[in-house]
Amino acid sequence: MVHTAGHGITPRCDTCGEPAVYRERTTGRHFCKNHFIADVEGRVLETIRSRNLIAPGDHVAVALSGGKDSTALLVILSKVLPGVGPVRLTAITIDEGIAGYREDTVRSADTLVARYALPHLTVSFPDLFGGTLDAFLAGREPEACSVCGILRRKALTVAAERAGATKLATGHNLDDEAQSVFMNVLRGDLPRLVRDSGSDSQGRFIPRIKPLMFVSEKEIAVYLMLHGMWADLPECPYAVHALRGEVRRMLATLESRHPGTMLNLMKSKAKIEAQCGGLLEDEAVHRCRECGDPCSGEICQLCTLKKTLR
Amino acid sequence: MFMHPARPVPHKAMKILLPDKCRRDAGPGPVTVEALLSELGFDPIEVIVSRNGMLVTEDAVVGNDDEIRIIRIAHGG
Repeated sequence: MVHTAGHGITPRCDTCGEPAVYRERTTGRHFCKNHFIADVEGRVLETIRSRNLIAPGDHVAVALSGGKDSTALLVILSKVLPGVGPVRLTAITIDEGIAGYREDTVRSADTLVARYALPHLTVSFPDLFGGTLDAFLAGREPEACSVCGILRRKALTVAAERAGATKLATGHNLDDEAQSVFMNVLRGDLPRLVRDSGSDSQGRFIPRIKPLMFVSEKEIAVYLMLHGMWADLPECPYAVHALRGEVRRMLATLESRHPGTMLNLMKSKAKIEAQCGGLLEDEAVHRCRECGDPCSGEICQLCTLKKTLR
Repeated sequence: MFMHPARPVPHKAMKILLPDKCRRDAGPGPVTVEALLSELGFDPIEVIVSRNGMLVTEDAVVGNDDEIRIIRIAHGG
């Protein structure tokens, strides 16, 4: 349905006839503001329920960087969780120490948490590891995402434990998940490929959940824009070094030309997971001989990395 | 009574605000948002677009003196 207004033509919501703000490319369906917001929130609630991500009585630590994905996660969870039951939320923020980037997003996180009157716990890399990410990466920038990933994972676990949380929610979206599937295929990493997308703790840590895993990055941006919460924040300066950046561009092009590509990747992963996930789940769990954390080898990734940090 | 000959109303250019905050004018259209993005070299998956302050879909038609803002969404984090 279309409507001519002024100089242009505005397609209309397929449900109510109001001006459309979003078109779902796979189906061609148009959504007005209200129906778009209801659709996104309904999908997140369905993901939580169908995958048993959150149960009544849970205390959910929301990893809040202050960027768009984690902001949307906090807003959506605040709205949909009353439909799940009594659930507590605590925002946790990791300050890695990335000059010219993290200051803005941490400020944005502080503002959001104050608006929702939520408990907020911040931990920094200097507090936990004795230095900033910038200092650790001097001369080894191409390794930025793997170094940061290992440190950040530990920092999130520590923060969630300090908060007393029973679940750790991250803002990974459909694009992130589809990229991860593709990257794991490119790396030949089958165990990681078949790991449960919704909750990847395997019982070893506080379960990590990804309630936005079926919401695209574009939908998240539109959702925030419609709530007047879009902030034009800077991009992580280390993103240029990441394989993920190349995969992101490639998948965006494929999704644009062949709508549904990202969702199909997720479906492929789910089928592989269903067929052979059980064969790999029993991988032996050891304790790191240096820090005691669960790991797959003798020394965990974090302790191995720490030996190389200056 | 003397009548002035009817003069065509001049088409105005669309004003476009790019993600890097640069401004540029585009032809008067009409053109779909998707075609405009393609002409400017943007992937519709990686941006959202507003017309005169309102979000529009890729199949919306824009033109004349519309003010178009293109916002890049891929930031990470």
